[in-house]
Amino acid sequence: MSATVPVRSKSVALLGIGKTFGTVRVLRDLSLEVHPGEFLVLLGESGCGKTTALRIIAGLEAASEGRVQIGGEDVTERLPKDRDVAMVFQSYALYPHKTVAQNIAYPLTIRRMAHAAIDAQVKEVAQSVQLAHLLDRYPRQLSGGQRQRVALARAIVRRPSVFLMDEPLSNLDAKLRGHMRAELKHMQYELGITTIYVTHDQIEAMTLAHRVALMDKGVLQQLAPPAHIYSDPANLFVAGFIGSPPMNFLRGRLADGIFQAPGVRVTTSRSLDGAEVILGVRPEDCTLADPSRAQLQGRIYSIELIGDHTLVTLKAGEQEVVVKAPNIFSGEMGGSIGLCVNPERVYLFRAQSGERIRG
Amino acid sequence: MKRIPALFVPRRLNELAYGVKLVVYALLLLWTAIVLFPLYWLVITSFKLPIDVADGPNYLPFVDFTPSLHAWKYIFFDLGRDTLRPYVNSVVVSSVATVVAVLIGSMAAYGLARIEYRPSVGAVAMFVISTAAAASLMFWGGANWLLAIASGAAVFFILLRVLAKRFRRRLGNDDILFWVISQRILPPVVTAIPIYLMFKQLGLLDTRTALVITYATVNLPIVVWLMFDFFSAVPSELEESAQIDGASRFGIFFDIALPLVKPGLVATSLLVLILCWNEYLLALFLSTAEAQTMPLLVAAQNATRGPQWWYMSVLIVIMICPVIVLTVTLQRFITKGLLVGAIKG
Amino acid sequence: MSALPSSAFLDRQARTAFILPTVVIILAFAIFPLLVSAYLTLVRFQLAPGGYLLTFVGWSNFRKLLFGSEQYHFLGTFDTVSPLEWLLIGVLGVFLILRIARYALGPSASVIGLIGRLIAVAALVAALVLCAVNTGGTARLGSLSVTLFYVTAGVTAQFLIGLGLAYLCTLPVRGRDFYRLVFFLPLMVTPVGIAYMFRMLADTTVGPLAPLWDAVGLRATSWAADPWSARIVVVVGDTWQWVPFMFIVLLAALEGQPRDQVEAAQIDGANGWKIFRDITWPSIAPVAASVILIRLIEAFKIVDLPNILTNGGPGIATESMTLHSFIAWRTLDLGGSAAVAYMLFFVATIGCVSFFQFVVRRARGEPAR
Repeated sequence: MSATVPVRSKSVALLGIGKTFGTVRVLRDLSLEVHPGEFLVLLGESGCGKTTALRIIAGLEAASEGRVQIGGEDVTERLPKDRDVAMVFQSYALYPHKTVAQNIAYPLTIRRMAHAAIDAQVKEVAQSVQLAHLLDRYPRQLSGGQRQRVALARAIVRRPSVFLMDEPLSNLDAKLRGHMRAELKHMQYELGITTIYVTHDQIEAMTLAHRVALMDKGVLQQLAPPAHIYSDPANLFVAGFIGSPPMNFLRGRLADGIFQAPGVRVTTSRSLDGAEVILGVRPEDCTLADPSRAQLQGRIYSIELIGDHTLVTLKAGEQEVVVKAPNIFSGEMGGSIGLCVNPERVYLFRAQSGERIRG
Repeated sequence: MKRIPALFVPRRLNELAYGVKLVVYALLLLWTAIVLFPLYWLVITSFKLPIDVADGPNYLPFVDFTPSLHAWKYIFFDLGRDTLRPYVNSVVVSSVATVVAVLIGSMAAYGLARIEYRPSVGAVAMFVISTAAAASLMFWGGANWLLAIASGAAVFFILLRVLAKRFRRRLGNDDILFWVISQRILPPVVTAIPIYLMFKQLGLLDTRTALVITYATVNLPIVVWLMFDFFSAVPSELEESAQIDGASRFGIFFDIALPLVKPGLVATSLLVLILCWNEYLLALFLSTAEAQTMPLLVAAQNATRGPQWWYMSVLIVIMICPVIVLTVTLQRFITKGLLVGAIKG
Repeated sequence: MSALPSSAFLDRQARTAFILPTVVIILAFAIFPLLVSAYLTLVRFQLAPGGYLLTFVGWSNFRKLLFGSEQYHFLGTFDTVSPLEWLLIGVLGVFLILRIARYALGPSASVIGLIGRLIAVAALVAALVLCAVNTGGTARLGSLSVTLFYVTAGVTAQFLIGLGLAYLCTLPVRGRDFYRLVFFLPLMVTPVGIAYMFRMLADTTVGPLAPLWDAVGLRATSWAADPWSARIVVVVGDTWQWVPFMFIVLLAALEGQPRDQVEAAQIDGANGWKIFRDITWPSIAPVAASVILIRLIEAFKIVDLPNILTNGGPGIATESMTLHSFIAWRTLDLGGSAAVAYMLFFVATIGCVSFFQFVVRRARGEPAR
C-alpha cells in the first residue's frame, strides 16, 4: 500500500447544519469541509455537539437544517447504508453473539458477497490489524485493545470512502491508548481514507489530526491545523481549551499599551486604552524571577514536581498563575516570588466577548 | 455503651449472630415446608387408594399406607385417549400461542423501543369512530361481521384522507406503549362473551385455533411490556453500526436485536407459556370437548361422586412436571432475563 | 431513539410493519369485543325459536346490579353503620377533598388530572362506605366487596411475605440458590390444581392437618360452611401461588441496591433497621410499587380458586366478580353477565390507574399527572 490518496476517498462537507432536540439547540450553523484523505478531528467537551455532528454525517440523526455532502453529492436525505461511510463507536458496538470473523464479515455478508470473497477479505484485513489468530473467538473473550482492533477491521473491510470514529480510544487504559493512537495514525496514513474523528482528548486531537475543529456549545470555534490552533487561538475558549496545563488568564485593564492588574504590569504592543481585557500566557512562556525585577509579584501557592519539570502555582492578589519551571526548583511554599512573561507570547482577549485582540 | 447479649454478637465479620441465624434459618425452612408440603401431599395422594384417602390423614408411603399405581393406570390406560387429547391440546395451544404472542409482541416492542411513531390524534379518533360505526352496523343493521369490518375500514380511510390534516396533535411511542400495556388490565371476562360470539359466527368454537388466537391476544401486552424493557436496555450503537453497514430494519431485528435479548426472550416466552398452560376461564368459555385443555380436565374431576382426589393428583402432577423441568433448565435465563425487565419496572 | 431521515419509502413500510400486527390483534380481539360487550350490557338476551333475541333495555342491567334484584349479589346486603365509622370516612373524605383543592389551585393542575383525582377519591370513599355497610350483624358481602377483599388481602400478604423472604435471602445464609428455586415452584402450579390441593389440605377430617383441628376441637366443623373462613382459604391459596413472584423480583431489587451506600451507613454506625428504612427501602420502592401494580392487575381477575375451591359458596360468599359474571353467563343472562364484567372493568381500571398515578409514579420520583 502506498501513501497516495486512493481514488475512492471522498470529501465531506457540512453546509449550515443546525440541530435541535425538542427545545435544545445542540448545533448552530455548522459549516466545514473535509478534504479527501484528510484526518479531521472534532474536538470539544461532552455536550458540545461533536458527536451529533458525526451522527448527522453518518445519517443516524437527521439535521434540523442544512445539507450534508459526501464526495460533492448531497446525501442529506440518504439512509446511512447508502452513504458509503463506516463508523467505529466508542463502545466498539461488536455483536456479542458473533465471532470475530463474523463481526468483521458482517458488512460484506449483508451485501450478499460470495463466501469465498468474504473469507479472503476478512483474512486480509484481520492480518493487517494483527487479529488473524483470534478469528474464532467471541468479543467477550478479547481484551480491550483487541476489541478495538476488531471494530477497526470491521470498518476497514468495506473500503468505505469515509471513516467516522466516535471516541474510539476512550475505553482503553492510558498506556494502550497511546499505542493505539500511533497505530491508528499509521493506518489512516496507509489507507488514505478520509477520516472524521470525534474526541474530547486534546492530545489525541493534536497528535492525530491534519486539522482540528474545536467546538463549544454547538458552535465551531476554530478550524485549523494542530500547530496553528495551539500557537494562534482564535478566541478565549480555544486558548483555554488547548494546552496542558492550560493557559493562564489574568483579568485587568489596558492603558497606554500596558496591561495592569493588582500586582501585575505587563507591557504589550497593543493599544486599546481603558478596555477591560484578559491577558493570556502559557505556563511554558513564563519564567520565575526575583520579585523586584519581575512583571508580577506573588506568593508560592503550591509546588508540583512532574518529572522533567516543576509546576509552580503563584497567587497574585486574587489571581492564580501556573508556571512551568525547571525540575530543580528551590523555592518554598508561601515564599514570595516574581514572574516574567515573554511579551512575544502574550495573548489578549476582550473580557466581554472573549474575542482575540490582535496587534 | 449498652451491653449486647452474647447470643446476638457475631463471631466474625459478615456472619450472623447465633440467635439471629437461628431465627433466619427457622423462617426460611418454615416457608420451604409451606411450599413443599402441599406438593408432597399431592404426589403421595396420587399413589393412594381411595380408602387411604378416606381413612384419615396418611402421611408416609410404605408406613401409613401402601402406594398403589391404580390412579396412574386409570389416567394413562383406562382413560388413555381422554387424557392424551387434552394434554396434546394444551401443549399445542400454549406453545403456538406463545410463539405467536412472543413474535408479534417482540416486533411491536422493538418498534416502540427504536422507531419513532407519531400517529396523529385525529387519525386515532377517526379510527375509533369508524370502529364504532362498524360495530353498530353489525348489531343494529344486522350486517355480518365481515361486511361490518370492511365498511368500518372504508369509513376510516375516507375520513383519514379528508380530515386527517386538520388535526395537528400527535401521540408518541409512550402513549402507544401505555395503550398496549393497559390492555392487560382488561379482565378477560369482559371480552369473553363477545369473543365467544365471534368464534361462534366463524365456526371456530371448541377449536384450538380459537384458543390460540385468544391466548396470544391476552398475553400480547405482557410480551410488549417486558420485551420493550429488554430492547431499550440494548445499547443502540450495535444497531446503528449494523445500519451503517447496510442492514435493513428487519435484518437488524432478526440478526442483531433478537439474539441480543435472548435471555429476555426465553424468560418472556416461559412466562407466557406458563400463563397459557394454566389458563382456565377462557378455555371454559371457548372449549367444550374437542379443544378441552388440561385445566378443564382437572376441574372436571370434581365428579358427582365427590372429588376423585387420586385421579386429580395424577393429572395435576403431570401438568406441573413439564413446567418445572422447563423452568429448571432455563433458570439461568430467568434470573438473568426476567429480572432486568421487572427491575426497570 | 434514533430519528431517521424519513424519506425512504421502504424504511417507512418496515416501521409500520413492526407494530401493525399487535395493533390489529388488539383492536380485533380486545377493543372490538370490549365495544360489543358495552352493547351487551344494554340488552336483554332471550332464546327465541331459531336463534336469539336481543332487546334493548338501556341501563336496566346496571340498575339491577346497583339497586335492584341483583343488588344482594353484587353489592351485598347492608347493615347500619355506626356514627364513628361515618365520622372516620367523613374525615378522610374531607382530607382528600382538601388535598384535591390544593392541587387544583396549584401550578401544575390540569383538567384531566383533576378529574382523575376526583374519580380516585370517590372510588376510595365508595369502597370504604361499602366496606362499612357490608359488615355488621345482618350484612353480607356481595361479589364486589369479596373481590376487593381478595385483592387487598391477597396482594398485601403476598407483598409482605415476599419482601420478608427476599430480605432473609440477602443475608449471609447457606443454600440461597436452593431457596430461590424452591420458593419459585408454586408459581408453576396451575391455579386449578392449587385449588384442589388446598381443598385436600384444608379438609378437617382426612387432610394432613386433621390432628391439629382435632386438638383445637374443630374436627367436625367445615371451613367451607363459614363465609369468612372460606374466603380466607381462597386468599391463602392465592398467596401460596403468588408469593414467589413478589419474592423473586424483590430479591433481585434487593441484590441490586447500591452496596457502597449500605457500607457507608454501616461504617457510620447505622443498625439493620435504619439501613433498611433509609437506604434499602428507597432504593427498592420503585420496583416494589411496580410489582404490586402487576399483581394488582392480575388479582382483579381471580376466578379459578373460588370456583374450584368453594364453588363460590357458601351461598355466594366467595364469589369474585369474574365468577359472578361467568355464572350469569351460564344462566344465559348475557346482559347481566356483561354488566358485571363491565363493573369489574371499571373497578380494576380505576384501581390500577390510580395506583399507577399516585403510588408507582411517586415511588419512581416522577410527578403524578
